[in-house]
Amino acid sequence: MADRKTVLVIDDASLVRLYYRSALEEAGFRVQEALNGLEALERLPGMGADLLIVDINMPQMDGLSFLKALRQCDSPIATIPALVTSTESRDVDFAAARAAGANYYIAKPVNAQTLVNFAAMLSGVPR
Amino acid sequence: MDTRHATVTEFPPLTEEELDRLGDFLYRRTGMVFAENKRYYTERRIAERMTETGCGSFPIYLARLRSDIGHEIELLINAFTVNETYFYREDHQLQCLTSNLLAERIRGRNKEDSLRIWSVPCSTGEEPYSVAIWLLENWPLVDRYEIEIWGSDIDTRALENCQQGLFGRRALQRLSPALVGKYFTPVDDEHWKILDELRQSVQFSRVNIVEPADMRRHGKFDVIFCRNVLIYFDDASRRVAAENIYENLLPGGFTCLGHTESMSRISPLFEVRRFEDAIVYQRPQGTNHG
Repeated sequence: MADRKTVLVIDDASLVRLYYRSALEEAGFRVQEALNGLEALERLPGMGADLLIVDINMPQMDGLSFLKALRQCDSPIATIPALVTSTESRDVDFAAARAAGANYYIAKPVNAQTLVNFAAMLSGVPR
Repeated sequence: MDTRHATVTEFPPLTEEELDRLGDFLYRRTGMVFAENKRYYTERRIAERMTETGCGSFPIYLARLRSDIGHEIELLINAFTVNETYFYREDHQLQCLTSNLLAERIRGRNKEDSLRIWSVPCSTGEEPYSVAIWLLENWPLVDRYEIEIWGSDIDTRALENCQQGLFGRRALQRLSPALVGKYFTPVDDEHWKILDELRQSVQFSRVNIVEPADMRRHGKFDVIFCRNVLIYFDDASRRVAAENIYENLLPGGFTCLGHTESMSRISPLFEVRRFEDAIVYQRPQGTNHG
């Protein structure tokens, strides 16, 4: 990838962060990590993230609260695309994520190749 | 650091009575048996501790030990534990974990419930970290369930190593270079540090496997790896350890022993389950009491 895109993975489970990071780095992405929505909001300014991968159930600030707060920011970070990955998989969960400002939603478990494909599409990486 | 290779003063052999007294002391605190047949090993470890503490004779050392001066009991137990292990040891059991055991454990379970896996004793950390790496590499549902991995040991020095996550070439010998490159950062020619996320994925604690209260405060687990420790125990300690493991398993939970060990010879509490890759022992379903 000539112009490497930066992905911020926001998930409280360290194994999940590592699983996603390994898959994304192998595909050429640069990966940053945050343990919850609050940490993500603090770290995003200046990071230059091209895509957010956001879990829903997290301590301190969950993924939906994070997205709502992010989309209301008066800053360029407000428009970074966000892919929600969650074990919540009912229609109402998709609708809630959509309402909070998610760009797409995948129910866990997420296959590594699927994750890479969506990350590439949402961050605009041509094949 | 391991002091076993430092210069150790030579002391006269322990008398039979001294060996018995020391053996009793260790047995009561660890369940491990050190008798005449382990005289050489015992004398080497005692000589190390006497050198380290500047005790000129065994009676002086024993007095120090009994008074627990400078946490000598903990340091003695540390000296007597064996911490020779490596990543992906007996990986057929890890294969069984992802091929069979976890599938049974998640059946009918809420996704909010944690899957709890315990490595006890965990020595210097190779086993619980192997479980984490194996799951990342081989279990497609790794991001679907909240996975809690615990590593516990009686040896506080080994637990420090677990927390540091620093490993030598021998410990990594069974991992492919690709896996080492993926999950470790080289520190120098001989040492690698495990990635932070892996380090954070395992919780460590001190535990004495023959102490029921010590074991029970860890709660119930889906799978317990308890490998190559029962061989150091006598029949009575083995039974206590087996009963503790049973109490720490959820109904239907599994325990994996070392390949030379058999639960059938120790306790009738467990059902033997023979899977393609491993023989494991299960706490029967419907045993909620306890």
